[in-house]
Amino acid sequence: MDFSIQILNGLNYILVLILVAMGLVIIFGLMRVINMAHGEFFLLGAYTVVMTDHAGLGFWPGLFIAPVVVGIIGMIIEYLCIRHLYQRFLDTILATWGLSIAIKQLVIVIFGPAGLMIKPPLPQLVSFMGIEYPAYRLFIMAVALMTIGLTFYVFLRTDFGLGARAVIANRDMAAVLGINTRKMYRTTFTFGSALAGLAGAVMAPLMSCDPQMGLGFFIPAFLAILVGGTGTLAGVLVGGGAVGGADSLISFIYSPVISQIVVFSLVIIVIRIRPQGLLGSRGRG
Amino acid sequence: MLVFALFPLTGNDYLTVQLTQYIVYGIFAMSLSLVWGYAGILCFGHAIFFGIGAYVMALITKGMIPGFSGFITSGWIGLLLAVGAAAFFAFFLGYFLFYGRLSGPYLGIVTLALSVIAERVAVNWYYIGGFNGLTEIPALAFFGWEIRGIRILFYFVLAVALCVYLLCDWLARSPFGTILAAIRDNETRAEFFGFNSANYKIATFSIGASVAGLAGALFATVTEFVSPTILGFGFSTEVLIWVALGGKEVLVASFLGAVVVRMLEAFLSDILAYYWIMILGVFFVVCVMFFPRGIFGSLLSER
Amino acid sequence: MLKVEALHASYGGSMVLHGVDLSINRGEIKALMGRNGMGKTTLMRAVMGLLPIRSGKIIFDGKSIHGLRTHEIAALGLGYVPQGREIFGDFTVWENLQLSMLKLPRAERKIPEVIFQYFPILASRKYQKAGSFSGGEQQMLAIARALATQPKMLLLDEPSEGIQPSIVDQISEILKKINADTGITILIVEQNVDMVMETAINCAFMEKGRIVETCSIEALQENESIIACHIAV
Repeated sequence: MDFSIQILNGLNYILVLILVAMGLVIIFGLMRVINMAHGEFFLLGAYTVVMTDHAGLGFWPGLFIAPVVVGIIGMIIEYLCIRHLYQRFLDTILATWGLSIAIKQLVIVIFGPAGLMIKPPLPQLVSFMGIEYPAYRLFIMAVALMTIGLTFYVFLRTDFGLGARAVIANRDMAAVLGINTRKMYRTTFTFGSALAGLAGAVMAPLMSCDPQMGLGFFIPAFLAILVGGTGTLAGVLVGGGAVGGADSLISFIYSPVISQIVVFSLVIIVIRIRPQGLLGSRGRG
Repeated sequence: MLVFALFPLTGNDYLTVQLTQYIVYGIFAMSLSLVWGYAGILCFGHAIFFGIGAYVMALITKGMIPGFSGFITSGWIGLLLAVGAAAFFAFFLGYFLFYGRLSGPYLGIVTLALSVIAERVAVNWYYIGGFNGLTEIPALAFFGWEIRGIRILFYFVLAVALCVYLLCDWLARSPFGTILAAIRDNETRAEFFGFNSANYKIATFSIGASVAGLAGALFATVTEFVSPTILGFGFSTEVLIWVALGGKEVLVASFLGAVVVRMLEAFLSDILAYYWIMILGVFFVVCVMFFPRGIFGSLLSER
Repeated sequence: MLKVEALHASYGGSMVLHGVDLSINRGEIKALMGRNGMGKTTLMRAVMGLLPIRSGKIIFDGKSIHGLRTHEIAALGLGYVPQGREIFGDFTVWENLQLSMLKLPRAERKIPEVIFQYFPILASRKYQKAGSFSGGEQQMLAIARALATQPKMLLLDEPSEGIQPSIVDQISEILKKINADTGITILIVEQNVDMVMETAINCAFMEKGRIVETCSIEALQENESIIACHIAV
């Protein structure tokens, strides 16, 4: 009985992790930018919800506003900083790193360093298959699944997706065919940020919202991408499942600290054996 | 040749103590400069080595490691083992990472993850003090003569810094250093010349880690206190900022970066409180974008 | 149609083009020949905006295009078929062709039927992944893709490289036919002398980043030693 709850919790975590990792991999695959501030976008999404909650508007408006707000912030950041650094790969890492610090401090400045909590908006429990499970968690999983599905649809079936995949495959040729690569970068960064913001917003009621929460999702998301393959969207599913699942399982059986160490070691081993990730292809990593 | 004009023969004891600490940070910064600026290895978790050095020093000199007692708890051995532990860990890590063809950014983030984990482990490990760390670490003692005087400690640390600088500088100017620079600038080309870049990187990484470990050990005796924060993510970030702002390619610039930033912080954080780190972050971003050689680095390069 | 004046460009830190002067008239098929490393590909990439230009001018159809972004240059009517084809292997033929028309609304995206007339193979393999094609077929796809936007001028970089001679002939015929039908201007960078003789009307020779000679194909046919002068090792 208890086990199935753990499985569901694990699934919950995996799905949200995939959401965060997707934004990261899209930004990396398309723009060759490792966005160290991605965890902070997650953070901003969560705090947006905190703000609407404190303003008396409750959770739901926050959920809808958060991806938009974070997306806009992402767009501004792309415009101000990142677009100057496209040629300098390593420097984008540092710059986004600096940004993540600045953003995190900004949050501390505004909200204070302590963790804040908001009440889950759907406190009921749902019973099915002999267990009782929080409705809100089911909601999160539904949202995550829908968003993941939507992202895949956009990438595989729409014009934008076709153009994006062309840019990922061969940026110069895509430009030669008339695709505006800079605009594509901006849109991608915005979209990726919005994904992280959504993840943060949706997780906010479940966690204590403190300024360090971004890092707690960024690292596993990044590890998931390393495992799954940095150039593929499907890889995120595999990587997220592996990392998220392993983490949940080991945390449950042993402890979160041990889990971190073990998962980390496993990731290193996987990368050592297969540097391009499980689903990645050589040469474009 | 540059002269460190750092001989504050001031009578102000409080400042001297602070400055001693900053110089230790400066040594730490130089170690990162070696790894990052000279070898091109981006390490987001450098504090791990500092922390290992500090903790080992603390544990040894407090006699907390079973089997080590008596003469072995002296300052010398402590320093030696601290440096050795850090180097060993780095070597092990480097072997895994550089041979695994993990390059640039991936490496950086992996080291970041490591330092986060290290911090968590330290917090949870009761024996080494857990969240509160270890206190009352004995002062450095050489052959029974304790270094207690504030001034003497200061000059001692300064001397160490100078030695480290000279050593690293010599290394950078030696053939080893030239090869490193070649690897940093264009790894594949360097490999065509027959240099096994992984080995050089592991070597530099270990040396950098040893210096960081040394700095950590000094920190332990100077401040007489170690805690998990010096292992972790926050501190790794700080040193990265110091070195980037100072100038990662020039040892002295990194050193100055650490000292100056810390001095400013002590000075301004009363006034600015939380805003300080935010401003620092923004400065960092601006620096990355427009001053890739750092502020002091740019100044010093204009010679 | 295309005029390049005193173009200087560098690639990877070293100056490759040292003042290139080249002009091509509307409807002309011109070949650019020269040994490896003389700067031919660099010239093409510079024209397409894929490389920064140090100094000089590029004028296309009366408009100054140096300094414009690649997709803007493409939009003005320049098509580019790079060395090695560089088609998107993971995409189908259909998707490869669609890419050039993404800006148009779906309703207007008709791949001109003529393309399938020129390259019948593509019609039958519309939904196959391009990566599974042979070199010659990929080349045809690359040309078709460049033609899908109905450009005014086509730049081809070593189209015959790595393709069997019979297909090279086919491609040469197709290029001439397209030129005859539509009046499209064509600039081909080539090392394959036969193909050049078959297809082009005029020829220019490039050496060490400069154009050193231009002449007509007739002149070449009469005096083969000109070629030997510039191409032979």
